[in-house]
Amino acid sequence: MYVMAPITKKAIEHLANLSRLEFSNAEKDKFVADLGNILNYFQELEAVNTDNVLPMTGGTSSRNIFREDEFLGDSFKNKKNIIESFPEEDRGYNKVPPIF
Amino acid sequence: MDLTHFTIKKFNEGLKSGEFKALDVTQQFFKYIDERDDEIGSFLNLLKDEAARQAEEVDIKIAKGEEVGMMAGVPMAIKDNMLIDGSIATAGSKILENYRCAYDATVIKKLKSAGAVILGKTNLDEFAMGSSTENSAYKKTRNPADVTRVPGGSSGGSAAAVAAHMALGALGSDTGGSIRQPAAFCGVVGMKPTYGAVSRYGLIAMASSLDQIGPFAKSAADAAIIFKMIAGRDDNDATSVAMNYDDELLNPDLEKIKNLTVGVPSEYFVDGLELEVRRGVDEAIQKIKSLGLKIKNISLPHSKHALSCYYIIMPAEVSSNLARLDGIRYSPVTGVSRKDLSLLELYKKNKSFGFGPEAKRRIILGTYVLSSGYYDAYYTKAQKVRALIKNDFEQAFKEVDVILTPTTPTRAFKFGEKTNDPLAMYLSDILTIPVNLAGLPALSMPVLNEANKHKPTELPVGFQLIGRHFREADILGLGQFYERI
Repeated sequence: MYVMAPITKKAIEHLANLSRLEFSNAEKDKFVADLGNILNYFQELEAVNTDNVLPMTGGTSSRNIFREDEFLGDSFKNKKNIIESFPEEDRGYNKVPPIF
Repeated sequence: MDLTHFTIKKFNEGLKSGEFKALDVTQQFFKYIDERDDEIGSFLNLLKDEAARQAEEVDIKIAKGEEVGMMAGVPMAIKDNMLIDGSIATAGSKILENYRCAYDATVIKKLKSAGAVILGKTNLDEFAMGSSTENSAYKKTRNPADVTRVPGGSSGGSAAAVAAHMALGALGSDTGGSIRQPAAFCGVVGMKPTYGAVSRYGLIAMASSLDQIGPFAKSAADAAIIFKMIAGRDDNDATSVAMNYDDELLNPDLEKIKNLTVGVPSEYFVDGLELEVRRGVDEAIQKIKSLGLKIKNISLPHSKHALSCYYIIMPAEVSSNLARLDGIRYSPVTGVSRKDLSLLELYKKNKSFGFGPEAKRRIILGTYVLSSGYYDAYYTKAQKVRALIKNDFEQAFKEVDVILTPTTPTRAFKFGEKTNDPLAMYLSDILTIPVNLAGLPALSMPVLNEANKHKPTELPVGFQLIGRHFREADILGLGQFYERI
């Protein structure tokens, strides 16, 4: 188990970029403090022996559920509400600024 | 009409006998909400026209002599993270301020088919993140037992609505205690079902491996009625399970309940437990002993790791689930103009304006624990510890049938008491979190005093009953006998 480096302002900026958020300097400082405390608290997990323990992958260990990959028809009747909430709409499509 | 004495059972009897009409009762509830909710602040949105229509339909059926079920005409409050077709769902956030739902959540569909009356949507911590409802972007909800104190969270609005008699029952969601903790703080019954018992289709997702929808009610008997109605396999939720819940949920057998062994885990009686909570829970244990049940000391050794485990796994799932909220797909964000912004800049502006500080905190934390280089150290490790916590319960359930603990370490705290220190807020869920990690059902019951009626001036205390997977009948059964003592 490796010891975590304390969280830096640069790390917060990187994480903010990844999650499409932006912060003021004051907010970044608060994050460094708050997250630092929280991550510090997590260190206690290092003492837990998890050798040969399989990680859980979801809410239960029940087996997966599948169905045939078949088209069930256009079963969603209520597109109107969805389209009406688009800030900008064009022929039923959600219009957004260029991606590139 | 005295709305405060109603339970679902009593309401159903009066309705069927013609003592009153569903529409009259619905209108009385709205009148009472008008009087009371300015102070309490449970509701974000009232659905008066729809509710009247739903109530009228029930009255017409009864007039025709048609059969109506237990939930017919029952005035319900719904946490605002569940979708109702055609009405707004905010999840307590500005980023969904104008989001008009395009479909009914499965639990809503079920309530509607049963003829229930939906009064409105209740306040919550933003995206169900919080333990006090103070993280709502819209308003404060006050604890009806003491309005200077929080109702708990994140389902604070729903808990307060039932406690203040502004609804006969309510739905909430519970990811780390968000039904049970506010139930305990407000002095009502609240249950988190087994993971998979109730469909999550139409519940705005927080942490998909932990979330469950569950009932708030004035009694365990009422909670059982609501639960039976919303439970069931749903093709739209692949994690839902086809369980056959039968009559033992609603009509528990006292002889069977007497034979249950109740385990009390030492790790849950922590140092930080408030004296009144300890006293209240001890009283409850004595009452249960008096019913004839065996009490046994047990150990759940990995309990102390549940908080770390949860605060790694849950934010990881949150950061993934909240990625879709961008101010473009569902609702524009007030105050953000897209003029001259690139798509990346638009995302950042919308999300930064639309999300509150706790939501941002958990997104950043989740992004961190899932990021390259840290994934194994945090996320994988936490999922392994989760398996150990689940296993603790499985071992315990070899010796006992039901586990009894306090629901919360303290009673309801004052506004602002824990808002400066996120970690202090997280600690209020320390007794409820392990249950979600293991996927088990758990019920919070208010501790009743000698006269079997909660003194309105006292701050409520709740105790928690945890059952085996899909054994809601055991915890609801014991709850129903406890409240009859």
